[in-house]
Amino acid sequence: MEPIDIGLVVSGVMVLFVLFGMRVAFAAGMAGLVGLVWIFWAKFGYAPDKLGKAITVSVKVAGQVPHSKVSTQALSLIPTFILIGYLAYYAGLTRALFDAAKKWVGWLPGGLAVSTVFATAGFAAVSGASVATSAVFARIAIPEMLKLGYDKRFAAGVVAAGGTLASLIPPSAILVIYAIIVEQDVGKLLLAGFIPGAFSALIYGLLIVTMALTLPKFGPPVGGFSWGERLRALPPAMPIFFVVLIIIFFIYNPFGGDAWGTPTEGGALGAFVVFLMALWKGMRWRQFRDALLETAKLAVMIFTIIWGVLIYVRFLGFADLPGAFAEFITGLDQSPMLTLILILLAYAVLGMFMDAIGMLLLTLPVVYPAVMALNGGEMVSAADSAFGMSGPMCAIWFGILVVKMAEFCLITPPIGLNCFVVAGVRPEVSVQDVFRGVAPFFIADAITIALLVAFPWIVLWLPAQV
Amino acid sequence: MAAASSVLEDGSPLSRLDRALYRLEMGLALISGLAVFATMLFAVVSVSGRNAINMPVPGYVDWIEQLMPLIAFMGIAYTQRDGTHIRMDILIGRLSGRALWAAEFITTLAALILMVLLVWGSWEHFLRSFDFSRPLWSNDSSIDIALPIWPAKLLAPVAFTTLCLRFTLQLWGYGRAFLFGLSAPVAVPMIKSAAQQAAEEAALLGDNGNREA
Repeated sequence: MEPIDIGLVVSGVMVLFVLFGMRVAFAAGMAGLVGLVWIFWAKFGYAPDKLGKAITVSVKVAGQVPHSKVSTQALSLIPTFILIGYLAYYAGLTRALFDAAKKWVGWLPGGLAVSTVFATAGFAAVSGASVATSAVFARIAIPEMLKLGYDKRFAAGVVAAGGTLASLIPPSAILVIYAIIVEQDVGKLLLAGFIPGAFSALIYGLLIVTMALTLPKFGPPVGGFSWGERLRALPPAMPIFFVVLIIIFFIYNPFGGDAWGTPTEGGALGAFVVFLMALWKGMRWRQFRDALLETAKLAVMIFTIIWGVLIYVRFLGFADLPGAFAEFITGLDQSPMLTLILILLAYAVLGMFMDAIGMLLLTLPVVYPAVMALNGGEMVSAADSAFGMSGPMCAIWFGILVVKMAEFCLITPPIGLNCFVVAGVRPEVSVQDVFRGVAPFFIADAITIALLVAFPWIVLWLPAQV
Repeated sequence: MAAASSVLEDGSPLSRLDRALYRLEMGLALISGLAVFATMLFAVVSVSGRNAINMPVPGYVDWIEQLMPLIAFMGIAYTQRDGTHIRMDILIGRLSGRALWAAEFITTLAALILMVLLVWGSWEHFLRSFDFSRPLWSNDSSIDIALPIWPAKLLAPVAFTTLCLRFTLQLWGYGRAFLFGLSAPVAVPMIKSAAQQAAEEAALLGDNGNREA
């Protein structure tokens, strides 16, 4: 068997194990290890007495991966971002943010819903966990909207959709993971997420205002706040702006001159501020310990998939599966843009059944090189490329697109988790209600993604400044 | 935010072993968490030292790199205990009874074999950098301030061993469930539907919501 065939067989078996519920991290590690043994043994001509040697060599190759791949400074961003999220609950940032948003944009048509979107976007920014964000705001925002006479389906939909804004606005753990797997600059990716994230929030806002002007199921705007009240509402929500701004400033200094430090340092400073705020709000050792344990659990889960997949990637390199797939993709007799759109659609389907992190990590090692090849290679210049952007820029653009795609799946049936969470929190709304209420946002997201594909500069302008 | 455990308990020897191991796992996971906090403090000290008094922490990057395995590995068995490691349960969630336990048993066994081999592989990786006859017992060291690397490398086989113990207990649990056709076995994580998961998440956050209000 040729290495490429070994690659296909082993990957197929891995998919089978994943379908039968094997944890993604271990399925990928197992596929990698079995694949390595097979490839080495094939090199020894399948001699029965050489099987032991093939196993020893493979185990040694695979055994280096966990330690050597996780001991990098860039990866320390992931646990820091997760910690910020857990501490943010204890810092009382959710209510503060909703309150501030209400006072600032509540006067718009559909004002309370717009406030909810902006507050979720803000909180999502620090929490980085879409599902949790939706759960928190389902509790705070839905009762207020119902009181004002909003349609319950719509109110639930707003909250479920708002939660998906988490993944793009920095700090975003999933963008860090993408950057690590495709070996691109973490800072630039984080920076690139900011405008599309804010842009998504704005599109949601516009959608709500338009609907409020044309449809009857909205409550009245909430206005009448004085500027004094508005300004006083800001300080409790400040840590959120601080975290987002500090991370941006630590990557890119808009006033010219050097950035203030590394993204890692920015994330740490942000976490520290939120930590102090949580202490001040009455967090004690018990809650702090719980936050640490939850952070550890999530971080370990992510790291385990990372090294598991990297063992698999080590094997893929030997089998040259990514190369073959890239050849296939670039050899297709259709425009590269059509191919890219088909790839994105495939992610939309996959994302309906699989968690975003697992999905991206499992597929990127094969899909990413193919997309780069589609554009003309890692080192291509903007002039020679298929999508009109250089290799590194294409990596950033594709990253933002797939992450947005993965978030999009959080509100799609059949298992859009955000919708289940909202329905779980509010007994008066069923899952079907939420799916129906979220449908307009579904369309808004599709438009956003189309715009990001059609006008890549929305994504690339900010990172190009660095 | 302690997650409500999805692992059932009773007075059987298996369940008692499960809880004993759980205490160890939780301790190790807490070390992971504290390491996260330490890296954060470290970065804050480093950046303020550099910018405020122009005195960066020597070997900052080296220290962070040595702390990372602590974060990445120590909680691995804790995370497996209640089934937090990601998987796709859309298919297996439809199975029940013996078919379910058989599938769980097979995938867990495969994972156990993988981890036993990785304990071996990561131990070999550790041995290459460990040498009793050298200063600090070390064959290699970090780039900036020459920290020995073997302690960080040792964490992988140690943590992976606890994961192997956890898998062994879970195999026992699934095996029992399969043999006796149990519907609610102890010491293994139960599959939660998206709706259940959501309700639990909501309940958890509810506690915080009340605290906040």
